[in-house]
Amino acid sequence: MAIKRLLINKMGLIGALIILAIVLTAIFAPLIATHEPLKIDMLHQVELPSDQFWFGTDEYGRDIYSRVIYGSRITLYISILSVAVATLFGVLIGAVSGYFGGWIDTIVMRLMDAVMSFPAILLAIGIMAVLGGNLNNVVIALGFVYIPRFARIVRGSVLSLKGKEFVEAALATGKGDFYIIFRHILPNCMAPLIVQITASLAYAILAESALSFLGLGAPPPAPSWGNILSDARNFMLDNVWMTVFPGIAITLTVLGFNLLGDALRDVLDPRLR
Amino acid sequence: MNPMPQILEIEDLQTHFYTRQGIAKAVCGVSFHVSEGEILGVVGESGSGKSVTALSILRLVPFPGKIVSGEIRLKGQNLFDLTPSDMRQIRGDRISMIFQEPMISLNPAFTIGDQLIEALRVHRKISRREARDRAVEMLGQVDISNPEMRLEDYPHQLSGGMRQRVMIAEALLLNPNVLLADEPTTALDVTVQAQVLDVMYRLTQDMGTAIVLITHNLGLVAESADRVVVMYAGRVVEEGTVTDIFQDALHPYTQGLLKSIPIPGHSLGRQREELYEMKGMIPSLQRLPEGCSFHPRCSFVKEICSQTPPPRKEMGPMHFTQCWLYS
Amino acid sequence: MLYFLPTLFLVAVMSFMLLHLIPGDPAVVMLGEDASPEQVAMTRKVLGLDKPLPVQFVTWLSNVFKGDFGQSIHTKRPVMQSIKERFPVTLTLTTLAMLFSLLIAVPSGIMASVYHNTRKDYLFMAGTNLGVSIPGFWLGLMALVVFSVQLGWFPSTGYVAVWEDFWQGLRYMVLPSITLGLFMAAVVARMIRSSMLEVNRLEYITHARAKGLSEWKVVLKHALKNAFAPTLTTVGIQYGRLLGGAVVTETVFSLPGIGKYLVVSIYMRDYPVVQGCILFIALIYAVINLVVDILYSYFDPRIEY
Repeated sequence: MAIKRLLINKMGLIGALIILAIVLTAIFAPLIATHEPLKIDMLHQVELPSDQFWFGTDEYGRDIYSRVIYGSRITLYISILSVAVATLFGVLIGAVSGYFGGWIDTIVMRLMDAVMSFPAILLAIGIMAVLGGNLNNVVIALGFVYIPRFARIVRGSVLSLKGKEFVEAALATGKGDFYIIFRHILPNCMAPLIVQITASLAYAILAESALSFLGLGAPPPAPSWGNILSDARNFMLDNVWMTVFPGIAITLTVLGFNLLGDALRDVLDPRLR
Repeated sequence: MNPMPQILEIEDLQTHFYTRQGIAKAVCGVSFHVSEGEILGVVGESGSGKSVTALSILRLVPFPGKIVSGEIRLKGQNLFDLTPSDMRQIRGDRISMIFQEPMISLNPAFTIGDQLIEALRVHRKISRREARDRAVEMLGQVDISNPEMRLEDYPHQLSGGMRQRVMIAEALLLNPNVLLADEPTTALDVTVQAQVLDVMYRLTQDMGTAIVLITHNLGLVAESADRVVVMYAGRVVEEGTVTDIFQDALHPYTQGLLKSIPIPGHSLGRQREELYEMKGMIPSLQRLPEGCSFHPRCSFVKEICSQTPPPRKEMGPMHFTQCWLYS
Repeated sequence: MLYFLPTLFLVAVMSFMLLHLIPGDPAVVMLGEDASPEQVAMTRKVLGLDKPLPVQFVTWLSNVFKGDFGQSIHTKRPVMQSIKERFPVTLTLTTLAMLFSLLIAVPSGIMASVYHNTRKDYLFMAGTNLGVSIPGFWLGLMALVVFSVQLGWFPSTGYVAVWEDFWQGLRYMVLPSITLGLFMAAVVARMIRSSMLEVNRLEYITHARAKGLSEWKVVLKHALKNAFAPTLTTVGIQYGRLLGGAVVTETVFSLPGIGKYLVVSIYMRDYPVVQGCILFIALIYAVINLVVDILYSYFDPRIEY
C-alpha cells in the first residue's frame, strides 16, 4: 500500500521514470550512441549539430551526443558507488556508536562533526588534490564526505530505539549485540535512510560534475558530463550546444533523484512533509 | 420570554468541514443565546462541536471548515454581515477568547508584555507607555505578583497557572462583552484550577462580561454557570438553567452524563456501584446517524428516533430539549 | 560553546593530514619528477618533513595560531598574505550571494505558505526543485553566454572591489552572486515555506487572530519570527555550501578569490597553499555556525545559549 501512495504522487513517478531512462541509457549506451565517445576526428573540430553529429563536436572532433550518452555511465557509477560506500560505513559507524554509547560514541561523534565542519565540496576537493584524479578516488572522496550524514541518521534512530522493549526482550533471550543491531534495530531506520540516500545521490552527481569541471574528477578523456562542460568553456561561442546538452543531462538526472526523494519522503515519513 | 437583553445570539449555525473523507458536520443547526453578564456553560464530549462553535463566533474556523449558514448576532448585529476588517475590530475588543493550553496559545517568541501591549494597541490609539501601564494594572488584577517585572518574561518562564491568568488578563483588557473560554482549566493542575477560575469570575463580574464556558467538566458548570447548553454531535440536545439541568435532566444524553459523574463514597464500602458508562461512542462527524444523532446509544430509543430528527420543545421556562420522548 | 573546541582541533588535524596523505614523498610530488635530490632534500628541510610527525604537527599548529600558514612553494610568499588579499573577494561574493538568495527566498517562501495548495504553491515547488537540480557552474556558464556575451550587460571576467567603486564592483559581481546563490535560495525558500506551514497550525496563531490582528501582522510578525529559527540553522549550513560553491564560481568567472587560488594551487601542486586555504575556509565556516547558534536563541527564546 505504500507503493500505491507512491504511484499516486505524480512527481515521484516522473522522477522514477527519469532515473529509469538514465539507467537504460547507461546500460544501452553502445546501442544509443552514434559514435565512439573517445574517437578523435580532427577533420570535424567544433562543429555545430548536424545529421552526422547530433549535438555537434568538440575541439578533438569527438561527437558530443555520444559522449553525453556514455557520460551517463560515469555519472551513475560514481554516484551509486560513493553513496553505497557512505551508506555502508555510515550505517556501521552510526549503529555501533549509538548502540554502545559511552566514550566510543563521544569520540565518533566528534570525528563526524569534524568532517562535517568542512564544506562538502571543499573536503572533496582537498581529498582529490591529495589522491589524484581518477574515478575510484572520486568515489572514495565523495563517499568519505557523506559518511557523517548517514552515521548521524542511523545513530539517532538507534538511540531512540535501543531503549524500547523489543530490544530488552531480545537481550533477554540471549541474542548478541550485533544480531540485535542488524536484525532488529536497523530495519526500523530504513525510512530516513532511504530518503537520505536519494538526497545524497542527487548531490553526488552535482559534486562529481563540479569536480570534473575543475579538473579534479574523472580524468580526461573520460566523457564525464563535467569534463565535457570543462572542455566546452573555450568554445562557448562556437558551439553553444556543447555547453547546453551536458548541463541539461546533469540537471535532468539530479531532478529525477530529487523528485523521487521528495515523493519517498512524503510516503515514508509524513512528518517531514 | 426573556427580559434581559441578549448580548449574543446564535441562530441555526451550520459549520461544516470539507475533508477528503467527506463532509464533517461539526456544527449542525446550533442555536442558543447568552444574556449580558451571565455565565453560559456549553457542555459536551470531545467532538460535540463546542470548540468549533466558539471559533465560528469569531469567524476563525480553520480550513477546510466553512460556516455554511446561520446567524450570529452581537447586540443585534449579525456578525456574518460584517466585512473582515470590521470583524477584526470585534475580535479581542468586543468578543475575546481564551484557549485550553496557555503554553501554546501565547507566542513563545515574544515577551508577555509585548503581547499584552499589542492586544491593547491593535484596538486603541494609545501610546506604548499607556499600554504598558494598563498591562501592568491588568496583571495585578489577575493576581500576578511583581507585574512590572513579569512583563519582560517569556511565556516559557511562567507556570501554567500564571500563563492562563495572563491569557485572561489579555482577553479582558478591553472590557469585552463576551468572553469565550474554551476549556480554560483542563490543562492545569487541580490545585491551580480554582485560582484561575476565581480570577476569571471576579473580573468578569466586575466588568459585566458574559462568559461562554466551554467544557466537558460538569462539575465546573455546576459550580459557576447560570445556564447550560448540552451539545452532542454538533447539535444542542438540551438547554436550561443550571438547576434544570442538574435536577431535572430531560434528554437521555444529559442524564447519561450526569450519571457518569463518580460520586465519592458510592463506589466504596459494601454497596459498591459500578461506574456508569454510556454504551457506544460518539459517531464520526462524516457519517452521522439518521434521525436523532444519539439514537444508537439511547436506552429509550423508539422507531421514530432513527428516522426523523426530533424538534426542539420547550419543557419549562427556558428549559428546552430535542427528544422524541417529549414530542 | 566550549564543546566545539575538540571539533576544531580535529579540523586542524585533518587539514594537517592532507599534506601527509599524499601518496609518495610530498616534496617530490610538489617539485615534480625531475627535481634534483638536493632540491628535494632542501624542500623537505624547509617544510620540516624530516622531523617526526607529532613534532611536525605541533610546530604547524603553533604556527597557525600565530597566523603563519606556511609559505607557497612557487611564489615563496607567506600563504596567509595571499589569503588576506584574496579573502575579501570571496567574502564579497558569498555575502552578496547570500543576500540575494535571502531576498528571493524569504518573500517567496512566505507567499508559498500563504497560498498553500494553490497554483502558486505548485509553481513554487516546481521552481525550487529545478533550483536545487541545476549545477551551479553550468548556470554560470550559460549566464555568461547569454548575459555577458550575447547581451553584453555584464562583464564576463574581472573584478573590481566593491569598496573602491561600488557600482562597477557590483557589475562584476551580479552574475557570479546570482549563480552562486540560486541553490541556496531554493533550499531556504522551501525551508521557510514548510516552517511557516507548521507554525500556522499552531494555536498561538489562532490566538493572534482572535486578538483582532490583521492577517499580515499575524503572518509577518507572529508566524515569521517563530518560523525563522529553524530556517536560520539551514542558512548557516548553506553558507558552507556557498563557501564550497565559491570555489567553482570563482573559477568560472575568473574572480581573484580564495577559491580560484585553491584550485590553481592544486594544479601547481603547491600543497602548503592548498592546506592553508582549506584550513582557512573551514575556520570561517566554523565561525559562521557559531554566530548562527547565538542568533538562534534570539529567535527562539526557549533555547538558552
